[in-house]
Amino acid sequence: MIGIRHILVIVGLWATIVFFAWILSKYLETVYGDKESKLDRIFIPVENFIYGLIGLDKNKTMKWKEYFLNVLIFSAFSAVVSFLILYYQGYLPINPMHFPDLSWSLALNTAMSISSNTNLQHYGGGSSLSYLSQMVGIQFLQFTSAATGLAVAVAIFRGFAGKKNQTEGLGNFYVDLVRSLTRVLIPLSFIFAIIFIIIGIPQSLSGYTLVRTLSGSEQILKIGPVASLVSIMQLGTNGGGYFGANSAFPFQNPNPISNYIQMALMMIIPTSMPFLFGRMINRMGEGRTILIASYGLYAIDLIIAFIPVTVLGAGMEAGIGPFSSVFWTVTTTAFTTGSVNASLAAFNPIVIIPAFMGMLIQATPGGIGVGTMYMLMYIVITVFIVGLMAGRTPEYLGAKITAGDVKLAVIGFLSHPIIILIPTVIAYAAGYVHAIGYGTGPTSFTQIFYEFTSAAANNGSDFLGTTGNTVFFNVSTAIVMWAGRFIPIFVMLAIAGRIQERRRSSEISLRTDDIIFPIVLIVSILILVILTFFPFLAIGPILMHLEGIKNAL
Amino acid sequence: MNKKYFTVPVRAAIVLAVICGLIYPVAVTAVGQGFIQYQANGSVALLNNTTVGSYLIGQSVTSPDLFNIRNDSASGVDPDITVVSALNQATIIHNNTNISMSYLQKLIHNNTRYTLLFFGTAYVNALRLNLELITAFHNRVTLYGEIYANITKS
Repeated sequence: MIGIRHILVIVGLWATIVFFAWILSKYLETVYGDKESKLDRIFIPVENFIYGLIGLDKNKTMKWKEYFLNVLIFSAFSAVVSFLILYYQGYLPINPMHFPDLSWSLALNTAMSISSNTNLQHYGGGSSLSYLSQMVGIQFLQFTSAATGLAVAVAIFRGFAGKKNQTEGLGNFYVDLVRSLTRVLIPLSFIFAIIFIIIGIPQSLSGYTLVRTLSGSEQILKIGPVASLVSIMQLGTNGGGYFGANSAFPFQNPNPISNYIQMALMMIIPTSMPFLFGRMINRMGEGRTILIASYGLYAIDLIIAFIPVTVLGAGMEAGIGPFSSVFWTVTTTAFTTGSVNASLAAFNPIVIIPAFMGMLIQATPGGIGVGTMYMLMYIVITVFIVGLMAGRTPEYLGAKITAGDVKLAVIGFLSHPIIILIPTVIAYAAGYVHAIGYGTGPTSFTQIFYEFTSAAANNGSDFLGTTGNTVFFNVSTAIVMWAGRFIPIFVMLAIAGRIQERRRSSEISLRTDDIIFPIVLIVSILILVILTFFPFLAIGPILMHLEGIKNAL
Repeated sequence: MNKKYFTVPVRAAIVLAVICGLIYPVAVTAVGQGFIQYQANGSVALLNNTTVGSYLIGQSVTSPDLFNIRNDSASGVDPDITVVSALNQATIIHNNTNISMSYLQKLIHNNTRYTLLFFGTAYVNALRLNLELITAFHNRVTLYGEIYANITKS
């Protein structure tokens, strides 16, 4: 199935993305750094107005603990806003289809899902959410969770950069949040929303329309504020679509052009983050290391996914085709976006393995902002391991990596399997899996394991969909999504805060900006992740594949 | 804990909910409804000036005289079929209606798109084919005449 022309499509898209990501990183440096920008004249008055409304002292910088607390409290309050809108949507305006309130557990799951940049959806958007819910319940959080990811990443980068250009602390969370919105996410989303309308995605607030089809039956055209949602949900690596079928629904993804623009949008900001890191620490080579390692892992995932021949089958859209369906599925998990353009059940289990890899690693290149954060976590662990093997004190960017840093990084790393595997086991042991009609076979196990992996990785793609709308799955995945979001952010802000204080030596004990280190990093990540998760992949998709072979004999 | 720990995040959540959740989508809607109305309202398909659906939402037909969509895809309303499937269906339509194969092949050819723009899987929009067929042959094919009359009546 995959020929030279398909490889050219992949390479062409990558080259385009890397080029624009490099340009974008220059701009991002003006957004988060001290450099002046020509656009300041427009943006500064708008931002000052917003700071005034919030009651913010913009000159105050925060130490890592304060930065983290504000990330957490702001995320909680914005989730509360969304929860209230969803829970009371039946009483609220802009609901022309008169959809009733969501249940408490579904409203809770949805608010915690979107605010943690996960976008696991146990609701069918087109058939249960009012326009107000789609806009204030969903789109608002898609903006703020993406902006929070960016803010956290630049705060961490400032920590790794050391004290040279900061008075103290990691910056001001609200300044980073607001500038991410006014200067990056809102303008780009607006431009691409308009482009999406031009190529066919609806944008309307006047209610669904009823039409009579050629065969005389009635058909509902579910038009709504779709284009404005699709642009931020891809750009912000959120992934929560307007409709339950996500980007497999033609109103959300009408043609190949919209398909590839959406892929490009989810790739652009995560790809620019390693460059931004390089710029902010003033060593472009270190950014290159992160970029090579993440795209190297992404390439490995793609190679695995294209081993089986995928043909157009049930669960795929004819206008998207098998190649773009597989390419998208690997990409949406590699960037932990989670939007889908085909039903996951349509694929050979071999395609699901790289989808798992993307979510288990979370840095291939990972979600907006946090992808590079995870790569820094792996770097801390890797330089420690390499340091042990070479018998030298581990160092990164000239700063000593202490036992305390490594402990924190390991807590961040190990929290991932814990919050995936424990709830998976509980779901089976307490009968909740059985209650939604799933069994103990490899297919069922794969789908339940995928559910919690996707929740923990803040990805959001899933097999369950509205089947997962039970109190147990709503509450358990909500907890997993927040733990999966905020434990690693806590750990990495702590490491960044500690490293910022540390003296830098100019002597280099281990080069991390050459061509060897990214390879060491890739191998170390694969070993860590495979050692942790292989048994579960074995009784899930791998066994599923072997059963398929056995049945075919 | 300091009260300010909560006032700033609460106010930020409310202010940003208004900016990102109301002002932004309403502004996009204003541009869409002002300048790009056809697409913004769902790319509706017309037959004899009457709305009969959207080109983006597939509709199944019961008659073998028309092009039918697949019912197994992820969305359930995939408007597109592969060219291979369209050509197979064209043979049946030709046998039932006597519309020439060359006309049907040309119709499919003119509406063919590719999943990777210039290559990849070839596909066509089934509703587009059906509307062209009905418009061109409603005087000759009984079923098309009935559909045409019904649409015009309602």
